Amino acid sequence: MAGLLPPLKPITIKERLSILFIDKGQLDVLDGAFVVVDKNGVRTHIPVGGVACLMLEPGTRVSHAAVALAARVGTLLVWVGEAGVRLYSSGQPGGARADRLLYQARLALDDDLRLKVVRKMYAMRFGEEPPSRRSVEQLRGIEGARVRQTYQLLAKKYGVEWKARNYDTSEWDKGDIPNRCLSAATACLYGVTEAAVLAAGYAPAVGFIHTGKPLSFIYDVADVFKFETVVPVAFRIAAKNPHNAEQQVRLGCRDAFRETRLLERIIPTIEEMLAAGEITPPTPPEESVAPAIPNPESLGDAGHRS
Amino acid sequence: MLVIVLENAPPRLRGRLAVWLLEIRAGVYVGNYSAKVRDNIWKQVEEGIEQGNAVIAWRTNNEAGFDFMTLGANRRIPVEMDGAKLVSFLPLDDGTVL
Repeated sequence: MAGLLPPLKPITIKERLSILFIDKGQLDVLDGAFVVVDKNGVRTHIPVGGVACLMLEPGTRVSHAAVALAARVGTLLVWVGEAGVRLYSSGQPGGARADRLLYQARLALDDDLRLKVVRKMYAMRFGEEPPSRRSVEQLRGIEGARVRQTYQLLAKKYGVEWKARNYDTSEWDKGDIPNRCLSAATACLYGVTEAAVLAAGYAPAVGFIHTGKPLSFIYDVADVFKFETVVPVAFRIAAKNPHNAEQQVRLGCRDAFRETRLLERIIPTIEEMLAAGEITPPTPPEESVAPAIPNPESLGDAGHRS
Repeated sequence: MLVIVLENAPPRLRGRLAVWLLEIRAGVYVGNYSAKVRDNIWKQVEEGIEQGNAVIAWRTNNEAGFDFMTLGANRRIPVEMDGAKLVSFLPLDDGTVL
């Protein structure tokens, strides 16, 4: 009996492909590799360890072994609807760093600290300091107006007829083309953002501007990048009005992510936002007990399990 | 850019490499990773190659623009010539060149 292979470990998010979409097929593990088997028995290998998140469209079935492998290499599995609207998401058991979670929670719970972080988020997003002495509520109002204006400007630039942002998932087909393209595009952005937030060891639900949703923090982080990455892509495709708009949007998003080096920037950006609170991450209390079995060294990000 | 070629390798190693790399032909794997990840992948090959043999080549900033290393017995062996890394092709055991 020959020796076993070394254990599988995640690699950093910044070295990965952004997203891969998989439709129709059985996801399984063959000889230790992640494969999609279609109904004709055609096998397609997916380099799962080199992808930030896998978007599973309707028509996919996933075996237990496949999910276990994805988790082991720290890849997020995101179940999406036909048009790229998120249905449900699960995946890598990441985000498991108590020090970061406590740090994030402390920033979110203290109103002064939260305001600092929110101001930083707006500053990063609009490239200038927001007006001083405003509450989070007031800032949100200013942001809303500014976002509507930005949509108008970009729609004009790409020659798209734009009324308002509207995403009623129950009446998907009634949404106009620009809105549907935008929803498909933001779903891509949320996928990679969630993978990065989990990999960095933070909690997706603990938001600063957005609250009360499982992905509140994801929306906060994604908003910083939204107008430079996915919105132009969505409007550019919408202006052409092709029959397979959603698919084109996804391909466009992937190019946009590569061009803007999104995966390299996303975790440092999160750190920078939270650093605006000007507190240091908590140190473990003196009487705390260190792990009996220390974690093995890993190439992955801080929140990846190794 | 990084390329690994395996010959006579056990299936579980081939599957393992497909976790990060694309198998574009039988036993030929390509990908694009940092030195650290490359070392990690190569460690997997070292542990799992058994009786087979393997070669890895990657882009780097030297004169040739790439470097490579090998593992296991093969008739092609790397040689150093005037500072350049080349490959010598050994004759068969019975002395025929071919």
